[in-house]
Amino acid sequence: MNHNPHKESFEDREIRVWKKRLIGVWMFTIPIVILMIIDKMGFVLFDESIMTFIILILAFPVIFVFGFKTIKSGLKGFLSFYFNMDSLIALGTLVAYLTGVASFFFSLQDYSGISSMIMAFFITGKYIETKARGKATQEIRKLLELGARNARILMDKEEIEIPIKELKIGDIMIIKPGEKIPTDGIIVKGESSVDESMITGESIPNDKTIGSNVIGATINQEGILYVKATKIGKDTFLSHIINLIEEAQSTKVPIQAMADKITRIFVPSILFIAILTFVIWWLFADLSKAFGIAVAVLVIACPCALGLATPTALMVSSGMGAKRGILIRKGEAIQTMKKIKTIVFDKTGTITKGKPEVRELFSLNKEKDFLELVASIEKLSEHPIAKAIVEYSKLIKFKDVKKFKVLRGRGLEGEINRKKIMIGNRTLMNENNIFLNKFEDRIKKFESKGYTTMIVVENKKPIGIIGVADDVKEDSVKAINYLNRKGFRTIMITGDNEATAKAISQRVNIKEFIANVLPEDKANKIKELQKSGFVAFIGDGINDAPGLKQANVGIAIGTGTDIAIESGDIVLSKGSLIGVVQAINLSKATFKKIKQNLFWAFGYNVLMIPLAITGFIHPVFAEIAMALSSITVVMNANLLRNQRI
Amino acid sequence: MKKIKITIGGMHCASCASNIERAVKKLKGINSVSVSVLINKAIIEAQDNISIDEIKKTISRLGYEVENIEQ
Repeated sequence: MNHNPHKESFEDREIRVWKKRLIGVWMFTIPIVILMIIDKMGFVLFDESIMTFIILILAFPVIFVFGFKTIKSGLKGFLSFYFNMDSLIALGTLVAYLTGVASFFFSLQDYSGISSMIMAFFITGKYIETKARGKATQEIRKLLELGARNARILMDKEEIEIPIKELKIGDIMIIKPGEKIPTDGIIVKGESSVDESMITGESIPNDKTIGSNVIGATINQEGILYVKATKIGKDTFLSHIINLIEEAQSTKVPIQAMADKITRIFVPSILFIAILTFVIWWLFADLSKAFGIAVAVLVIACPCALGLATPTALMVSSGMGAKRGILIRKGEAIQTMKKIKTIVFDKTGTITKGKPEVRELFSLNKEKDFLELVASIEKLSEHPIAKAIVEYSKLIKFKDVKKFKVLRGRGLEGEINRKKIMIGNRTLMNENNIFLNKFEDRIKKFESKGYTTMIVVENKKPIGIIGVADDVKEDSVKAINYLNRKGFRTIMITGDNEATAKAISQRVNIKEFIANVLPEDKANKIKELQKSGFVAFIGDGINDAPGLKQANVGIAIGTGTDIAIESGDIVLSKGSLIGVVQAINLSKATFKKIKQNLFWAFGYNVLMIPLAITGFIHPVFAEIAMALSSITVVMNANLLRNQRI
Repeated sequence: MKKIKITIGGMHCASCASNIERAVKKLKGINSVSVSVLINKAIIEAQDNISIDEIKKTISRLGYEVENIEQ
């Protein structure tokens, strides 16, 4: 992200340039209009040829000075056969201007005043359109400018301020209350809350303490923070977000394909039609009329409206999404979303917080001894449940474990003091023919509370059970209720067994659940569901990557500070499931906008070009109509912001 | 394969973007090109040994300015 915040932005420069041209063209065009009106009213101020001469002189700077860029770029198109919009305007205005010159020598109507007016309206249109386009990209530009410029770091026990570019990984940054955190890092000293709304859309500041991750460009609220920089430059959270949005712009929404194809052949086709129109009118009417009508055809055609219809809507949508922590990675998702019938949620980390805690345990031995045994084995695993058990045990000295083994999707085993210990779920017990007898009732009770229940076995005999639960996120129920109301088939997918899954799905009102699914089988389950319609899958971007890819729309839930997510068509940087609802609403609203825009752009050209060919539209009105049509498309896209999502 | 992002000045119309896409796509070693008028950027996926100069020349020959290149 090479952006210098002090430099005038691209868009601002563009607007400034068009404004200068705008003032220039009208300075000369207004006198022309006045002269022409006086002439039309029948007052003869000058001799006709002097009048033409004056207009030619006034129109000259309009076409060749203020319109120079347009003329140049348009003519370049003729030389390289890469025609663009400017080619049409250049040809139209030049031909019109030259009729003025030619009228000295032949009996021909003088369109030079018209040429000036066409250029004036063209530039006015461009100015308004550029401004509107600037509005469409405002959120993205805000993100670009969000990054901090300086950082205060600790060097040799002294605070010094350095430009952000010189900041290195490992530097200790000092952030005072109210200041921006220069880059992503981890707190090494201090406590505060941090306002992350500009990046995740989360409006309530997050409490942070030693060991918490912080995101660059967010604002420290009340305490002084010492933060060790962990990511800089292109690797920061902010850079990733900007990157995602920029790359989304380069993906295509399928509905746009047709418009793109037309845009590609549009200008050459119009040139051809204009020539044909000219010849026919010349043959069947007269040369003067033929010129006027051909010019109208050239300037009425508007490939811009077609080309801007989708990207502008997508851009506004991206900006709206980014503000709410919804990052649309693939434009296609916007179109596909409409067809989604089934929404599958992963349980852990998606519906639930992803932080399991021990809720209840039961053991035949003394609890302390029991926990010592269990925690010593669990200590060797990285699984979130294992971590929860170790944390709960508060054990400092762990026992020696031999023959430790991870039994994927089922549990763990190991030997302590020659005793064979096995900790795992029902599947594991069944596999090893372990009878749960008197534990059965207790296990059922745990499961009905939605606990993931681990059974501890010593030398093939159950000695206790541990109930671990992962709290449901605050907004999960609300979001799922909403989706149910909207008629979606909602399904939860989990590695938990039936009883536990049932308890949790009831708690969040999800309609169906699929239990006992190993992580690697999630994608297959989604594939099965796809037989009966389009499926969206919501899961975390790391473990659920295959499922996200398999689904028609994959929505990845970001976990805190890491969104370097490669899978998922849409990424939610805020953990809440309300984001899913918003993403669906936003996609639908955006797609509707795109359809409106394309309909308008197609309709405009289909209606107006024949009208121009048949001579019903004066060239100046043709130009005004053209300018209005592309402005309408951009402004209509901007109206998306009024949608409540 | 690598990704190149080029900031382009002077584009103001969808047909400009599609012209650049067409022209750059014709170069050797280009896998995909996508030009956005709204962010004034071309995102190009190309072979590692692609000549950046060649891309630059192609874009300027069409009448647009190459302002910044990130790889």
